[in-house]
Amino acid sequence: MSTRSRWATCLFLFFFVSLSIIVLYPLVGLLLASFKPATELLRNGLSLKLQTELFTLNNYSYLFSDAGRKYFFWYRNSLVITSLFTLLSLLLSAMVGYGLAIYQFKGKNILFVLVLVVMMIPVEIIILPLYKLTISLQLINNYWGVILPFVVAPLPIFFFRQFASSLPKDYLDAGRVDGCTELGIFFRLMMPLMLPAFGAMAILQALHSWNNFLWPLIVLRTDDMLTLPIGLASMITPYGNNYDMLLSGAVLSIVPIVVLFAAFQRFFISGLTAGGVKG
Amino acid sequence: MRVVSTAVPHRKITHTLRSLLYSQRFAPFLFVWPFIVTFLLFFAYPAVNTVVMSFQLVLPGDVRFIGFENYHKLWNAQFRQALIVSTKYTFWTLLVLIPVPLVLAVFLNSKLVLARNFFRSVLFVPALTSVVVAGVIFRLIFGEVEGSVMNTIVGWFGIPAQKWLFHSETGMLVLVLLASWRWMGINIVYFLSALQNIPKELYESAEIDGAGVFDKFWKITLPLLKPITIYVLTISIYGGFAMFTESYVFWTNNSPGDIGLTIVGYLYKQGFEFFELGYGSAIGITLLALILAINIVQLKFFGLFRKES
Amino acid sequence: MGKQPKVLAVLLSAMTLMLGACTGGTANPATVDNASGKAVADANNSDAEPSTDAPKPAAPTKLALWTFQEVHAKYYNGMAESWNAANPNKPIELEVTTLPDADMHSKLLISLQSGVGAPDLSDIEISKFPNFLRGDIPLAELNDVIDPVKDNIVQARVDMYAKDGKYYGVDFHVGASVMYYNKEILDQAGVNADDIVTWADFVEAGKTVLAKTGKPMTAVETIGEWQFWQMISQQGSDFLDADGNVILDNEINVKTVDFLKQMIKDEVAVIAPGGKYHTEDFYGFMNGGGAAAIAMPMWFMGRFTDYMPDLSGKMIIRPLPSWEPGGNRSAGMGGTGTAVIKSSPNAELAKEFLAYTKLSKEGNIEIWKQLGFDPIRKDVWELPELKEENKFTAYFGTNLFDTLMEVKDEIHTVNIKDKTPQINAAVKTIALFQAIQEGKDTLTTLKTVADVIRK
Repeated sequence: MSTRSRWATCLFLFFFVSLSIIVLYPLVGLLLASFKPATELLRNGLSLKLQTELFTLNNYSYLFSDAGRKYFFWYRNSLVITSLFTLLSLLLSAMVGYGLAIYQFKGKNILFVLVLVVMMIPVEIIILPLYKLTISLQLINNYWGVILPFVVAPLPIFFFRQFASSLPKDYLDAGRVDGCTELGIFFRLMMPLMLPAFGAMAILQALHSWNNFLWPLIVLRTDDMLTLPIGLASMITPYGNNYDMLLSGAVLSIVPIVVLFAAFQRFFISGLTAGGVKG
Repeated sequence: MRVVSTAVPHRKITHTLRSLLYSQRFAPFLFVWPFIVTFLLFFAYPAVNTVVMSFQLVLPGDVRFIGFENYHKLWNAQFRQALIVSTKYTFWTLLVLIPVPLVLAVFLNSKLVLARNFFRSVLFVPALTSVVVAGVIFRLIFGEVEGSVMNTIVGWFGIPAQKWLFHSETGMLVLVLLASWRWMGINIVYFLSALQNIPKELYESAEIDGAGVFDKFWKITLPLLKPITIYVLTISIYGGFAMFTESYVFWTNNSPGDIGLTIVGYLYKQGFEFFELGYGSAIGITLLALILAINIVQLKFFGLFRKES
Repeated sequence: MGKQPKVLAVLLSAMTLMLGACTGGTANPATVDNASGKAVADANNSDAEPSTDAPKPAAPTKLALWTFQEVHAKYYNGMAESWNAANPNKPIELEVTTLPDADMHSKLLISLQSGVGAPDLSDIEISKFPNFLRGDIPLAELNDVIDPVKDNIVQARVDMYAKDGKYYGVDFHVGASVMYYNKEILDQAGVNADDIVTWADFVEAGKTVLAKTGKPMTAVETIGEWQFWQMISQQGSDFLDADGNVILDNEINVKTVDFLKQMIKDEVAVIAPGGKYHTEDFYGFMNGGGAAAIAMPMWFMGRFTDYMPDLSGKMIIRPLPSWEPGGNRSAGMGGTGTAVIKSSPNAELAKEFLAYTKLSKEGNIEIWKQLGFDPIRKDVWELPELKEENKFTAYFGTNLFDTLMEVKDEIHTVNIKDKTPQINAAVKTIALFQAIQEGKDTLTTLKTVADVIRK
């Protein structure tokens, strides 16, 4: 290594370490804040000083008290909705993306353009009639009401289509010779090849569902059916004494998605790199 | 249960089913039906409905057509404010969230950076938090009292304590910072994935031709990143104009002086707070026209329709 | 392809198994949907199952009630218990759901329009109430329970929830505005609260307070409407006139905003931390002796007792200063109208329960005892129960109702009309903020805001 690149390495290291500190600070701040009396925080702001003398576990013990019970309902709802949404969304979107990539059929291009159109149009625009529709389908305050309208998502379709385009076509013929149905070929032969894409999309879709706000805010109505973001947001109100739960609740709400990310992380970037399969 | 079917039609049905399952002509529909169904039910139908409602006055038990009145009403100071906020927000997020992640991705793709994978993950971590959680943290950091984190920091530079969320400029700054913090990692990943698809040989042959670091960046990296950049640009325009949640967590959709009122925020306010469903739909249609127009111009300009494959 | 996490492999093979791979493909996810969808739906309808708790004599009728205030929920639950004790022949099982303010109202509106999922009763905040009185009114008429007690209640507090002579809601309280003085600060400055008669006196006293203690006399709300609304209501003005026309930009209102601005300029007032009184920032500021006085309705007492404990024993309550000697010294502000949903199968019972909680003597006494609100029944104000000690008398001193008796005839009705939701939102988020905090010209600002709503 030349001296110049050694210098560059040092500079880069310094740069990325500083950047990481800045980027991670809000999360560290939240963690620290969750050990401080919440009312104090809202009145005096989060201080740059540690203020260890203020530290208390009250915010956490409050979560596990009777008043905190609803928090775990929210947690359960978020877990259930996110799992169902992610599984179904991956499966269905992969099917559609694969179908669009592998087969030649009438209307294929129209369908693909429609996928792009859905991708480009904010759901917020159709949210009023969509809500009325959800009511007539009796899906209000129901997990499926949150999940179904968006389960076939354009972004993963687009992604899976791009990914499937690069799959080796000879597997198809081999499968057909073996007497598999077309779906069988997909599930048995092609899906395993698409695993990296599933890894990347699993993180993105789970992330989307876990943190989704506007639609669940509209569909879910009773306190025991809310998801974590909606429940937490409902605590930001001057009409209650909920700030204590807000911060500890926010900290714990990040945990599952961080675990998921840690598990799939190595897969994530390589999965997004469609070229991964080629090599 | 009716047991009318004899063996023959039954076999016929099974046969048709089997041949359908094996048919390559029918096969595409086995795969794309989920999209067709959800598109028609959850997209096309509501979309048509939005258009219809935008010409109606919708009251409980009393729905009537009122022509273009909703659109006429749209030209008012509050909607203009929402347009301005959304446009500014989109502009700033584009300005930050395209070049910066691109450059960071190039760095993170370079062998000169130690622990690349570690830093990639670290920069992605904020994306894991929900806007609500992020909003709570940012509210604390940008507290208006003297001792809050941000006021302490600006204090070092001799700037007096700010009421961050009470002025349009600082409010916009906090919104853009929040968006940048959460989205930076995601865009880096997009750019990284594209960078890893650039054949190494291109760089090697460029090096042989005596190209420097910057030559390689301008002549090879940037042009080859164009498709992904267009993609990121498209979704960022969308994300910018559709922004709502960030403003909701800071101000519960009631920002002082409407400094954080976005188009979707206005739609939500009219539709769900005042129950002006017709008027809300007109706002939605206007937003749709706006986003489509911008994206069509943008795509024409950069040329995605020239197809990737 | 590199290493793949085991989790993913397991997950995908499970999926593959589920879908039958090569053997078919007829097992589509929809069947999975249905099966677990039903399970989910069942879980949601758990309230349909008979309660397994101790058996009750008569089968109680279920009543669902929505509110946006935790304290209201507590109150209703308590009243349901005493209702059951008093009416063993028609017991109820009250299920109170507390939702965040904005959510609750929008959800209620939409479920009423769609006819799905509405409760039997609901609290509706005053500024949102007119949203529910448009088109086919989905709320039940309450004339049959209100008329019998009409002479005993403050008429204005049901008129606000009426349309075309029919009543649709009952309020908790009169919402009489008063001035909360921090006596400790006044004493330091040598100011006697009883000498403050007019707003001009208030400003003069403020100058003394500022000079002697360095503290502002009061704080100005820039994103809250109460302070401003009560000050214009005192002068007979409002946001809307009696016919529902927007009058936000009239002379009295402009003058009043300018009055608030002048107080800030004179340093007699500061802009309220957090922009309004209902914020933690403000509670912290006030609790630490940040300002000497604020004008708010009686129902704000609860915020003092709950969020500003350090001021206990230091605060006193007096009538508002008037604009001229002999002018009105109070205003009726805010409110929560409780309504019965017309489509409820138990609407009659719900009405009776509503009357019990908010129109009966017992109910009105409890409203004071538990919530610290000035109840709408005038004939309970002088009852001994209202003189009893509770957390409010412990905080503010006894004889709180003497102040109320003093000003009870000095309250104008506020006009709650179709445009109330829009104009209130505009006043509290735009008009005051731009005129006071951003220092824009008052008349122009008020006119711009008013014109948007007029359109």
